[in-house]
Amino acid sequence: MSVLFPWLFWAIILVLVSGVFLWPQIKGRKAKKDKHQGFLKPTPLFNQEFSRELSIPAAQKPSAQPSEAELPHSYGVNRMILMARDPHWLFAYWEVTATKQDEFTSNYGPEAWSTTHPVLRVYDITGINFNGDNALGFTDIHISENIDNWYVHVGEPDRTFCIDLGRMFPDGRFITLLRSNIVTTPRASLSDRLDEEWMWIEGLYRSMGRFQYGTSSPMIIEELALRAGVLPLGISSPGFNQKD
Amino acid sequence: MSKGYLCLVLHAHLPYVRHPEHTDFLEEKWLYEAITETYIPLIQIFDHLIEDQVKFRITMTLSPTLISMFTDPLLQERYVQHLNKLIELVGKEEGRTYGSPFHETALMYKKRFHEARNVFCDQYNRNLVSAFKKFQDLGRLEIITCGATHGYLPLMMLYPEAVRGQIKTAVDLHTRHLGRPPAGIWLPECAFAPGVDEILKENGIRFFFTDSHGVLYASHRPRFGIFAPIYCPSGVAAFGRDVESSKQVWSTQEGYPGDFEYREFYRDIGYDLDLDYIGPYIHPDGIRIHTGIKYYKISGKVDLSQKEPYNHWRADEKAAMHAGNFMFNRQHQVHHLASLMDRPPIIVAPYDAELFGHWWFEGPKWLDYLIRKIAFDQDTIEMVTPSDYLQRFPCNQVAIPCSSSWGNKGYHEVWLCGANDWIYRHLHMAAGKMTELADHYHNAGSLHRRALNQAARELLLAQSSDWAFIMSTGTMVEYAIKRTKTHLLNFLRLYSEIKENRIDEGHLGYLENMNNIFPDIDYSWYATKKDLPKAASM
Repeated sequence: MSVLFPWLFWAIILVLVSGVFLWPQIKGRKAKKDKHQGFLKPTPLFNQEFSRELSIPAAQKPSAQPSEAELPHSYGVNRMILMARDPHWLFAYWEVTATKQDEFTSNYGPEAWSTTHPVLRVYDITGINFNGDNALGFTDIHISENIDNWYVHVGEPDRTFCIDLGRMFPDGRFITLLRSNIVTTPRASLSDRLDEEWMWIEGLYRSMGRFQYGTSSPMIIEELALRAGVLPLGISSPGFNQKD
Repeated sequence: MSKGYLCLVLHAHLPYVRHPEHTDFLEEKWLYEAITETYIPLIQIFDHLIEDQVKFRITMTLSPTLISMFTDPLLQERYVQHLNKLIELVGKEEGRTYGSPFHETALMYKKRFHEARNVFCDQYNRNLVSAFKKFQDLGRLEIITCGATHGYLPLMMLYPEAVRGQIKTAVDLHTRHLGRPPAGIWLPECAFAPGVDEILKENGIRFFFTDSHGVLYASHRPRFGIFAPIYCPSGVAAFGRDVESSKQVWSTQEGYPGDFEYREFYRDIGYDLDLDYIGPYIHPDGIRIHTGIKYYKISGKVDLSQKEPYNHWRADEKAAMHAGNFMFNRQHQVHHLASLMDRPPIIVAPYDAELFGHWWFEGPKWLDYLIRKIAFDQDTIEMVTPSDYLQRFPCNQVAIPCSSSWGNKGYHEVWLCGANDWIYRHLHMAAGKMTELADHYHNAGSLHRRALNQAARELLLAQSSDWAFIMSTGTMVEYAIKRTKTHLLNFLRLYSEIKENRIDEGHLGYLENMNNIFPDIDYSWYATKKDLPKAASM
């Protein structure tokens, strides 16, 4: 016992000392994470567009095999790719090369990059042949530097969109760096377009309402339940109301 | 004269899990389990139906990755070893359970495993494709294809050449193994986006399926809802999934598979028994896995420890009852629909084949009863395949189906979410580079050709929607990430070696051996075509 006691004493001291040294590191890591998350939540200027918490720069992605070869973070290609995830959300990712950045500074002055900030300009170009100036409307999303992907909430099924990634000067001047491909969000409801030769049979739709929708399409259940009263042509039949 | 049609679709697919580098690869077991529990039981059922001269028509996908694994000698050999171990284990189980309420079930497994070995080794000479081909040639199955590696096409449509690569490779492999080109396709994850149909058309495919809303939310409201197909403007037909029949089978809560008499999936002796005993039959590192020997029934909404012994006679009765119930509901549905329509309705009921047997142990039995009842007990419904239907009703409404999938929430979120969105920046880049290579190298010489073809294989393997799906579910994520990265890195290395004209033949040979899928692939399928569909609505 008398031999064990000093050992125990020194062991406790060791733990305490290492704790003192390691604590700031652990804390620092946590703090860094918090700071990072704060950084990822830019204050939205437009209510309907906001960042999802998952818009993490790709470089920060946890890797399962850190020791192995990693995929390149960038490919040295200017690109802005847009995808429609569902009737309400788009996803964009992009890469701006150093050359592109140099081009910008040579056009707008050496300070131009640091005095501007990145902006996503989301154009609604439904039904038009977009030339850069004729959009039906647009919304700006102000984002932080070093972000290279974004979920955009457009909230509009069956509309066509295009996004510019650009830099905005303090005076509001917007300079496009990259323009995305064009996407159309999927429909989220029955079409209003009816074929005269193939006039829809209302009763069939009514019976589907009674059956409810399949398990892997819960979205439709929700949506049909929501629109039970507003579907056109008197679909607000008992069938549609027997939800859940 | 039947009043309506039932189109049962079984989608059989597993990702390519072949790992020559290791003899005990956990993910390879997915294939072995599915062979024992799903594919062989289905083959046995179809064989017995044919022996008994029962007529049936079923549509079945054999995904190109599955065909490739079925016909791979290494995997065939490993499956036989796997099955032999199972037979050894069940022999011990016969003794261990003697006198207990589990003995009957042990004997059932013993019989099944011996039959499986007989089917696999003796009847079909280790090649299960030949079994399904036989059913096709007898006019019982309509076998359709899938994306070459089950790539998620709507998120690939910006690179139509990559979509074409998925389709052309699939059609080529399918035709080689099944002796005829596929008339239809199961789009991976039932996922459609406008434009995909044009690439299908180019490759001679005449129909595909969408989830219910894919057809219901088409550009013009469909006259018959989902009870008749619509034609895309390209002329390819889209069949929409029926809501009610899906739910009866799929739903974990209300569906048949949740019946208390059915076998409980989660009580497996691989987890339940002492390591000393079960050790040789699980992973050599002591990782517990499903052996497939399970002795309990679902019993009720109780804890796993409270489950009661399984009784396969009682479960069998339930399967027969459920088949009767399913048929009754379809008859009822058809009567109702037929009263409203000026042609017989078609009810499209697609299921993952692996649901039957692997997850829902009694599923193949249910299917067997259903087919027999439909053949003998009624004349309201007739089983048809989409090709049968289109032959009888070639005139259909034209509308553009809605971009959709059968994943959670009905669109693309499962395959494009925080857990997996990073892959597209790489997959798209690789798809673009593959087309760049195909455009640049016409009639490449032997070594270049090999490297270009291997690059196409690596791209295809990286594109499997299975990886993105697994990432989104949060289980086994590491493997899915690793597969995605490995194939992309292999691709990128090949790309720079080809471009810089310094192909490392040793490494190329290694990759050809490791990732040997699609031996007949032709990289030129990735070349740009001038008349590609617009990707505007991906």
